[in-house]
Amino acid sequence: MVASLLTARDLNKQFRSGNQPVSVFRNLSLQLDRGESLALVGRSGSGKSTLLNILCGLEKPDTGSVQVLDEVFEGGTDRQTEARWANLRRQQIGVVFQEANLMPALSLLDNVRLRARLAGQNEDDCRDWLERLGIGELAGRYPDQVSGGQRQRAALAMVFAMKPALILADEPTGSLDRHTAEDVTGQLFDLQARHGCGLILATHDAELATRCSHHLDLGHLPET
Amino acid sequence: MTVCSALLSHYRRHPLQLLALALMIVLATMLWTGVSHLTDHARASLAQSEQAIAGQQQLVREDGQAVSVQDFAYLRRQGLCVMPWLEVQRPPPEGRVIGVDPFASACFGSDAPGQARVDALNGEPFLDIAEAKAMVRQGSNGDLSLLVPVDVEADAVPADYRLKDFSMGPATGELGESFLLNLDALGVLVLLITALLVRSVYQLGLVQRRESFTLLRRFGVPATRVQVLLLIEMVALTSVWVIPGIWLGRLLAEILGGGFGQVLESLFDAPLYAVDGGGFVLPALVMVTVVLLACFADKRLLRRLPWLSGRPSVVWFGVPVLGLGLAMVAWPFTLGWLFVGIALVFVAVGLLTPRVLSYVAQWGAEGAGAITLWQRRELAVLFRRLALPVVALQFAVAMVLAIQALVTTFEDTFERWLGQRLEAEFYVEVPEQSAAVDGVRYLAGLSGVGDWHLVQRGKTHVVPEMAGDDAATSVEVDLFSISPIGPLVTGWTLLDAIPDAWEKLATGQGVMVNEQLARRQGYQPGETIGFTLGEQSLALPVVGVYADYGRPDGEILVAGQILPETFNTRFQSLSLNPGTLAMAEIEQGLAAVWNTDQLTVRDNGSIRSLASGVFDQTFLITRAITVLTLVLAGTSLLIMGWVFFTTRAWYYRLLFVWGLSPREVAGQLRWLAMFLTGAVAVAALPLGVWLTWALVSRINPLAFGWSLPMAVYPGFWLEMLVLCLVIGLAISVLMRRQLGAGVPAPAMANVAGGGER
Repeated sequence: MVASLLTARDLNKQFRSGNQPVSVFRNLSLQLDRGESLALVGRSGSGKSTLLNILCGLEKPDTGSVQVLDEVFEGGTDRQTEARWANLRRQQIGVVFQEANLMPALSLLDNVRLRARLAGQNEDDCRDWLERLGIGELAGRYPDQVSGGQRQRAALAMVFAMKPALILADEPTGSLDRHTAEDVTGQLFDLQARHGCGLILATHDAELATRCSHHLDLGHLPET
Repeated sequence: MTVCSALLSHYRRHPLQLLALALMIVLATMLWTGVSHLTDHARASLAQSEQAIAGQQQLVREDGQAVSVQDFAYLRRQGLCVMPWLEVQRPPPEGRVIGVDPFASACFGSDAPGQARVDALNGEPFLDIAEAKAMVRQGSNGDLSLLVPVDVEADAVPADYRLKDFSMGPATGELGESFLLNLDALGVLVLLITALLVRSVYQLGLVQRRESFTLLRRFGVPATRVQVLLLIEMVALTSVWVIPGIWLGRLLAEILGGGFGQVLESLFDAPLYAVDGGGFVLPALVMVTVVLLACFADKRLLRRLPWLSGRPSVVWFGVPVLGLGLAMVAWPFTLGWLFVGIALVFVAVGLLTPRVLSYVAQWGAEGAGAITLWQRRELAVLFRRLALPVVALQFAVAMVLAIQALVTTFEDTFERWLGQRLEAEFYVEVPEQSAAVDGVRYLAGLSGVGDWHLVQRGKTHVVPEMAGDDAATSVEVDLFSISPIGPLVTGWTLLDAIPDAWEKLATGQGVMVNEQLARRQGYQPGETIGFTLGEQSLALPVVGVYADYGRPDGEILVAGQILPETFNTRFQSLSLNPGTLAMAEIEQGLAAVWNTDQLTVRDNGSIRSLASGVFDQTFLITRAITVLTLVLAGTSLLIMGWVFFTTRAWYYRLLFVWGLSPREVAGQLRWLAMFLTGAVAVAALPLGVWLTWALVSRINPLAFGWSLPMAVYPGFWLEMLVLCLVIGLAISVLMRRQLGAGVPAPAMANVAGGGER
């Protein structure tokens, strides 16, 4: 039996607001296979970003387990666990935030090269990725010299240059106008389908969510 | 809620930051007030010490006999204001004490020597004359003098007595003045660091309040109103917190200055170091101005400077300015010209350093791997974006390097200065009416006596290439004659000399000139100068130039054998080491040959130890304040560096997101921070060495006509480098803690914008 790309079981996460514990989600489970996409929807503060952070090891759940490929994480904050997560993020998990995905001191091309290098991929393809995303002529420019949409395209180029098994995108088009957002997400889904990687997308946009093969609604506000 | 309360709510949420700001203002004020008090009082002390030495006179008997209590009683009965001064030399470690009569000193008024201690008579070093007499009876050497006020004229002195200068110690002269330049430089440095300290904390606050300001603007509050409120906030905070700062600064000055004053008083026997109250208004105004400039000047002024906006044109502006400044310092016409040159060099270095370091950081990075490329590019950005604190730390380290070199050189020079002037253990004045040659003959025949020589002083006129007496071009200088030329002088430092200079001097084949005369007249070894000795005119080659450590008058040194009988000797003394003999025995012998009861004998050893004490204490204070200033400068960079790193925390966090382990990210931060601060130390080194050179070889000669030797101290350079690396390490530790606190919100795009290329 082939293991799922991602499996999360019985995840619980609480924050403290003053002296009050605030439950973000309880006993949350999900599963994602290669080539599938999952939309995380819900109101602001419903825990979409927190869940994404947990799924790539940037945050720890209070209880529950996460399995990515054949790596299983069941709590623990030891150095070895952190190293395993770091290794997964370096080679298998591409993360795209709403903005500020690029190193400001590097050109777009150098940013892509850096990400590919960290993932152990060939740096020669990096310019191709920028070309495919329509910003090849901007390869030598710095992030503050291009528009927000062009920066997000560069961020996608970085993710695809690392050839990930899983892409986690946290409202990647949240800061873009509708036309640019459609353009960027179109390329995201196109490339995801072509390369067969998993995609988890946190979004407010219901229309965008319908383009994903699965949905998970975290719609409620956290419970106190 | 008003805009004002909205602004102040920040401190309600971050009370520790308010405390940090208050603490910085208090510490900065304390440091500056302390240093400025110390400098003022050191200057006043040295001025008073010179006055104390120069201003006293005594009465001596015409017949050469020592004065006694009977003389004192007689003179008082004649209506003269006379004060007995019994100097008792006790065996080490107790040293010298002075017995005074508080009642007899009353007629001196506030000008009485040692007046501050006369009232207390606590034995440090003044005590009641009766106690001093008891010590003499118990076997200590005692020397009674009768002091009279400086305004007593010679015609008011009864017959059989005459006035004579009364010297209580060696004058520090130009050496002390020059040393004050050092303290002044320290004061400027402290003010600079003070400004940086406050600025760093203020900027930290601004970074944390940025979101609040954005909100206020969105709510329609004009930016200018926010600025005005911030200004009022800083004025109010500073006004409150400078008061304890000033008080603590004075306390610091008293603590550090107490020992300094005590030693000065011991040396010069005068109340030389009294920390008076002074006003609060001036220091408060200075500090408020500095704080406001530090916090708000960039809003209008610094923002317009190209080095802050990072334009490449700074290179084209900075390089010529640097060249011009260096040339002005290398070939200075006047002191003002020199200072302008130094200022230009500092401006140019400030403009160029961030650009040069940035360029060096990126040099050769293109062919490197992606991570290395990122490291180098990030470092280059740091140099440009942290230009102000980087340059400030560079200046601070450079000035500390220069001051340290100066202080150490001063210490060494002062030791040699004392060694030259107090070369023998004792010196004995040849009584007037007595023939020095009798004493010389006595010493020459004395078995067991150590090294000795006769010193004869007078005046002469020198002309560079004498072709007959040309009064129009001749220069009056001091004549210093020694015979025989022996080990007591042949160890002197010669700045320039021909081979076998001492031998040629001893045999009368040449003369030596002091540094001042050589510099003023441009004399070189080998050049023949003419001079007059009484009726006789001589032309002899200069065989050497000797260091004279700040003596302002020109002097020519000759062997005693060339002095003619007709030469008008103004002062004669014997410098001698007793060797295996007791000094008392030699003293008796000389008194016998000169047929006098009491000789004026000075124990150079005790004078040397007292004088060394004064400067040791002063150097200790300077070092302590220098180190303190450097630590605060380091703290300033630490805070400002941390502030800037914080604005880029999101990007360092990206490395973690991209799969670097926390340890690897920490390693990258450590590399960046330590390279940044280490490079600052390296960049400060040439500036510090150059500044040392400018101080000793350019400012000193122009200001005082003499120069200190140039010395460098690589061990101290290493200490500075280590200190800067520690600062970098501390920044990286703080950043690691910051990154570990959770995923930070991404910085706004405009925060990261600009200065990245």
